[in-house]
Amino acid sequence: MATTSAPSQTKPVEDSIAKVNNEFAVGSDPEFQFRWERFESIVWAILIIFVLLSVAGVFGRGPAAKSRLQASDGSLQVEYERVQRFGAPSLVRITFPASSVQNGSLQLWVSESLIKALGAQRVIPQPAESKIDNQGILYTFPVTTGSGLVEFSTEPLSIGSSQIAFGVPGKANVQAKVFVLP
Amino acid sequence: MHTPVYAAIGYLFLLLIVRSLKRRPGAQMTPFEFVLIFLVGGVIILATAGNDRSMTNCWGGVIVICLMHRLTGQLKQRSRKLGAIIDGTPVLLLSKGQWQTRDMKAMHIDDADVMAAAREKGLKTLDQIKYAVLERNGGISIIKKSE
Repeated sequence: MATTSAPSQTKPVEDSIAKVNNEFAVGSDPEFQFRWERFESIVWAILIIFVLLSVAGVFGRGPAAKSRLQASDGSLQVEYERVQRFGAPSLVRITFPASSVQNGSLQLWVSESLIKALGAQRVIPQPAESKIDNQGILYTFPVTTGSGLVEFSTEPLSIGSSQIAFGVPGKANVQAKVFVLP
Repeated sequence: MHTPVYAAIGYLFLLLIVRSLKRRPGAQMTPFEFVLIFLVGGVIILATAGNDRSMTNCWGGVIVICLMHRLTGQLKQRSRKLGAIIDGTPVLLLSKGQWQTRDMKAMHIDDADVMAAAREKGLKTLDQIKYAVLERNGGISIIKKSE
């Protein structure tokens, strides 16, 4: 019975490796090495800049990422991180003056992007009521006295830019732009 | 969903970082390099797999990394220049009794590293070495002087 085998492929050995002192085939390339070292310096400079910007919070979770917005009529103030990271926890803090409290309760409307894009996980304090309203959610919080503070813990679910809006019904809204990094 | 993309980006990023390290971890593994490899590997896996630790997700990541490795290997074979970029080129450290000081400084290699490699070859002193070369895998090759 005839057997078949793969055809052998060969080629003659050539002097293809660069030599040192015309005797030692090392294959070094000093010119390439010099250019690579310059490239390496650029890479490290970029990496160091990246770390410094990261520590400063330019890429989220630092002083440069924090932002504060106030409604034009002073009905609420929003503190948030304008740069967030995908899947990383963050906080949106909303404070209200006593004038925003009506009949012992505080109403807060938030756009649905807070849930869709920023993945709101939890709201503190627990609202007495929450209902779907005008492409968003309307929360009602009971208030005993004075001003109020509401916190949303978020965990962004999508990468890119998104806009969130907050407002007390009948008063000015606050629009916050958030960019989520991968 | 993100894992295959993150795995591919992570592979290229680590390739750049490890290649940009002066002394490439590999053949000459000291505790110094062990710390680097374990810590970098541990950190990058967090970004790659994310919160999804399912078998489906992790296998997807592993497959993408293997495909990237295979693709890189094929590209290296086709282009010598790309091979030099990915793996580097050998660097002469010692030639006929002369230290190549500029290259040694650039590669963060000192005479003790060369002597360590020489001892593995059974040499007792530096003056028995004719050539020392820092190889692409981070090891140091020693060519001894003929008697």
